[in-house]
Amino acid sequence: MILAAVLSSIIFFGSLILIFSEKLHRSIIAIAGGATMVILGRIMHFYSEEAALEAIDFNTLGLLLGMMMLVAMLEPTGFFQYLAVLAARASKGKPERLFVLLGIITTILSMFLDNVTTVVLIAPVTILISEILGVSALPYLVAEALLSNTGGVATLVGDPPNVLIGSAAGFSFNDFLIYSMPIVLVSWAGALFLLRYLFKKELSKRPRNVKAVMRLNPAETLNDPLVARRILIVLGGAILFFFVHHALHISPSLVALSAAAVALVWVRPNLDEVFKHIEWSVLIFFASLFVMVGGLEAAGVLDAVIGLLEQPSHISPLLFGVGLIWIVAVLSAVVDNVPITIALIPVVHGLGDAGMDITPLWWALAFGAGFGGSGTIIGSTANIIVVTLSEKTRTPITSKLWNKRGLPVMIVTCAIASILYALVYPLF
Amino acid sequence: MNVSSCMKQNVVSIKPDTTIREAGAIIVKKHIGLLPVVDKDNKPIGMVGLRDLLKLELPDFVNFVEDVDFVHDFGAVEVSHPLATTLNRKVKSLMSPAIMVDEDCGLLRAYALMLQQNLHDMPVVSKDGKLVGITSRVDIGVAVLSTWGKI
Repeated sequence: MILAAVLSSIIFFGSLILIFSEKLHRSIIAIAGGATMVILGRIMHFYSEEAALEAIDFNTLGLLLGMMMLVAMLEPTGFFQYLAVLAARASKGKPERLFVLLGIITTILSMFLDNVTTVVLIAPVTILISEILGVSALPYLVAEALLSNTGGVATLVGDPPNVLIGSAAGFSFNDFLIYSMPIVLVSWAGALFLLRYLFKKELSKRPRNVKAVMRLNPAETLNDPLVARRILIVLGGAILFFFVHHALHISPSLVALSAAAVALVWVRPNLDEVFKHIEWSVLIFFASLFVMVGGLEAAGVLDAVIGLLEQPSHISPLLFGVGLIWIVAVLSAVVDNVPITIALIPVVHGLGDAGMDITPLWWALAFGAGFGGSGTIIGSTANIIVVTLSEKTRTPITSKLWNKRGLPVMIVTCAIASILYALVYPLF
Repeated sequence: MNVSSCMKQNVVSIKPDTTIREAGAIIVKKHIGLLPVVDKDNKPIGMVGLRDLLKLELPDFVNFVEDVDFVHDFGAVEVSHPLATTLNRKVKSLMSPAIMVDEDCGLLRAYALMLQQNLHDMPVVSKDGKLVGITSRVDIGVAVLSTWGKI
């Protein structure tokens, strides 16, 4: 059994290291790791194909797929361009105001939609606006990634780790609004102020051409207002159902998938086009990680970790929670936060079985996984996207710049979250 | 008919260590769209077109935003120019791979190649790979259409 535990750990941590090295696409590593885990489990009799399938959390996958379909239908309507152009006009070309407005829009969108999609759709228009304005796009792009990382932690559907944690802990949409959102809002405001300070020099430069921005007409950016309206109505309905899903005893994934179904019937889009915009590699990445971590659990590795964690659990639970925020944050900064979260979920469950009050730990996990991603370029997919996009422009974002902007944001948001976590700890 | 019958034999070509600034000046002076870049044996090793040079002027967002029709005024972009250091770089840092045809290439094949590669001008080389001419969509198109009179 010890050999099984060692070998399955090698598969899992080897995969994490490979993901970190970025030599291969993370989904390829995850598929290979998942398959190897099942084969090893069959040979050594600790893991079966049935158990591997059971390890996959279909509630998470369903929720992600449903939301992805809605966004895939909303994307070609030009709605995201519309919002960014609206922000540009409302800013009257003042960089500081544009910075805050774009930050707010990105944050609100990323609370309800996938961060990655939000950034993918807002960043190109951001480059457009800053170029015709005659200012550097860097502050805006960096802020969009960081603020969407931070803001996404506020809701059940805002961030993949939250979807995972909500599903594992049985937290409802409203639980996130009550326990997570207030802390996230304060941390978000902290991040915004910090970023404005850090980009003070860039934002105080006077734009060269405000007139061109004022000539942008938001209405012209909408390619298909009718479809946009329909999808937004459906999305609004889905959000209303998210508020009451717990009371109605329906899962968030059913809400999301039903909303996608309604939108598909109402809009009747070209299905091939919709499916092209769905990030299948992300869904497969999740499923494969579930299979891998399922094997780790079956081999008894997670029990050993839980045993280790129980030893120092005579330290106060509050300190344990704050410690978890920082450990998870550091891990999420260097590796993807999704595998970290998927691996830690059974550990937290195990601590619960051992008698610990784990509700506060779930929140610590959510804050750490969410805020930690800001620390490095590879910490979150939103960061990677913004950086990759900027590398195709004349002014690429370097990791040196990220260390001066992203890392402080990670530290400040984690610090604010830790303080508030300690203050409201008795309420969890 | 083949391309050698409708190509221009008087080709202006440049060397890989010509600067971007000089290449631009030649294009302006000769009012042409494409400059083959040749080695010392007069064999094309690349080409620099109007499009490659204008890329230095175009804003980045054009590559990311699918439809720029709603941007009525390019604002600051219209008056920003490439840096002097960029213009002093050699063309070999910017040139695209040479896409060319042999002088005995048929007209329709040459035209199809230009369509697919999105070229408006194309260098023509001899059997031993030396630059002997340059042809354009108009040259080829006129040559093709001129045969219609005999139908």
